[in-house]
Amino acid sequence: MSKAAKTPSIIRRSLIRTLLFVTLILVVGSTFEPYNQAQLAVVLIYFIGVLSVTLLTGISGQLSLGQGALMAIGGYSTALLMTNYSISLWIAVPASIFGAGLAGALLGIAAARLSGPYLAGTTLVIALAIPSIANRFMSVFRGDEGFQVDVGYPPNWFSNFFGEPTYEEWQLYVVLPFAAIALFFASNLLLSRTGRMWRSIRDNETAAALTGVNFSRQKIYIFIIASTFAGLSGALYGLRGLVGPSIYPVALSLTLLTAAVLGGIRSIFGAFIGTVIVVFLPDWIDLALGSFELSEQVSNFMPALVSGLLLILTVVINPAGVAGGTHLHKHK
Amino acid sequence: MDTFLAALFSGTSRGAVYALVALGLVIVWRGAGVVNFAQMGQAMFSTYIASTLIQNGNSYWIGFFVALISGAILGALLDILVMRPLSNKKRTELLSSESMRAAVPVIASLGILGVLQALAGIIWAAEERGFPAPAAQEGFAIGDNVFPFTSFDLFVVSIVALTLTLTTLFFKRTGVGLAMRATALNQEVARLSGIRTNFTRTLSWAISGAASSLAGLLITPTSNLSPNTLDLVLIIGFTAAVVGGLDSPAGAVLGGFLLGMVIAFVTYYASPEDVYLSILGVLLIVLIVKPRGILGRKDSRRV
Repeated sequence: MSKAAKTPSIIRRSLIRTLLFVTLILVVGSTFEPYNQAQLAVVLIYFIGVLSVTLLTGISGQLSLGQGALMAIGGYSTALLMTNYSISLWIAVPASIFGAGLAGALLGIAAARLSGPYLAGTTLVIALAIPSIANRFMSVFRGDEGFQVDVGYPPNWFSNFFGEPTYEEWQLYVVLPFAAIALFFASNLLLSRTGRMWRSIRDNETAAALTGVNFSRQKIYIFIIASTFAGLSGALYGLRGLVGPSIYPVALSLTLLTAAVLGGIRSIFGAFIGTVIVVFLPDWIDLALGSFELSEQVSNFMPALVSGLLLILTVVINPAGVAGGTHLHKHK
Repeated sequence: MDTFLAALFSGTSRGAVYALVALGLVIVWRGAGVVNFAQMGQAMFSTYIASTLIQNGNSYWIGFFVALISGAILGALLDILVMRPLSNKKRTELLSSESMRAAVPVIASLGILGVLQALAGIIWAAEERGFPAPAAQEGFAIGDNVFPFTSFDLFVVSIVALTLTLTTLFFKRTGVGLAMRATALNQEVARLSGIRTNFTRTLSWAISGAASSLAGLLITPTSNLSPNTLDLVLIIGFTAAVVGGLDSPAGAVLGGFLLGMVIAFVTYYASPEDVYLSILGVLLIVLIVKPRGILGRKDSRRV
């Protein structure tokens, strides 16, 4: 098949996926109570961040434990733009992606020299160090207090046309277009030549280099792209109310990785499934164990215990995750 | 001058503990090819066991030795239950690539860390508790001057020195140590020459578990004990191991003391808030100048 005939089919496939996704979220979201709508918004926000892990680790084989730091960069960029320059979130959020992308480029230059556990550990130290900058430069980043930002209220034309949404519902509608765009781009990337090139780096750097892939340069591209996803996710994450160092702890990076692995680290579908599992797990555990009347000490730690166990069981028994094998063979 | 001495002594005693943590990481990396991010979770767990024993009226030393033994047992169990099945699975499609083969054990160790921390929270509650020191925590007095070095610091430094000597002797002078070094060098060849590599792998997990439990016992008198207190120690220990060279036990010790000094001097001369950034700074400088660490082997790229 010629290249010209192939490209539209990739875009068409990605568009169909994205439309299905948007429809699904709108239908499910409209049946939810406000509490669950807010959770669904968190699912979409995490989903964008998990996509960055999927691209970086699942597709390209670069294990990063520092995506939370890139989320913080996205969050702070948005908060600074919105608070200091009163810029609308519809401009501030896309603009913040550049901040995260720039950080990703620096990280990628460093990462091009690192492999395996060296990269994992370095990114972990970065996840620890970046939020501490907020306390180091108090006057700019306002320390632990942080910035109070939120999604605000819907514009008049929206309320006139669709009726007045609750705050949670509006949160969902603000996040959805960004998640849809992220999904579309990720899907295009995975189906395209670039996606295949990145998989070749994951599978065998030497072989990739022999077929003409400049893997040092590609690694930098991978980090830039994955960082823009993380930055977007972090910007939206901060818009839930507060941008501060406590919002982007090291644990956030590990949550993203857990979601990506549980769902299936090699597919977009897996990223979504994993995110749903991670966000709704505490509620499911409450439902399942509600009749046992566990003490608070036990029930507080149940979600962490179960997700840790699921993570271990997934890598030992079924490393391909819930989304499993079918996607795997297709991409190979 | 006083500040300088205080930083120097604090750096020595903290550095000794970081050296121990880094050594634990290096032993498992060499022996099993895994960077064990759960290591300080294991240490936290066995320190809680010691703490419970001591609170129930047992002597410090009973708690101390039980913690070391349970640290070793926990390490061995983790290898047998999680890491060994993982390494036997290596031929599946997902694990066929080099990079994923290195990433998957790291992910598993993060899962173990989560489970251990949640279990500790469930069993012992998440509140911070103190942990006793076996020696006084007031500075030595010479005349009117109180030296910023305590009997406990002396205890820490000497017990770490003893541990490092014993580990070195074990690896250099005993048959099992030799077998473990051979396995670290080349697992396939070691197995062909009759070494039971499964056993040496598990043994390295056990030794590392005991060493990091010792680190936990030595650091909690000053930092208190909670399911998460040792996370930072792990990150510092990892940085120390990379700075010294992940393949080199001597490098781990060097890196540990170096990091201890950097952290102490930054804390005393700048502010505690700068510690995280200085750790990152040291790590980046070393990775740029010597990506294999100060004493790391050039040819040791395993991943």
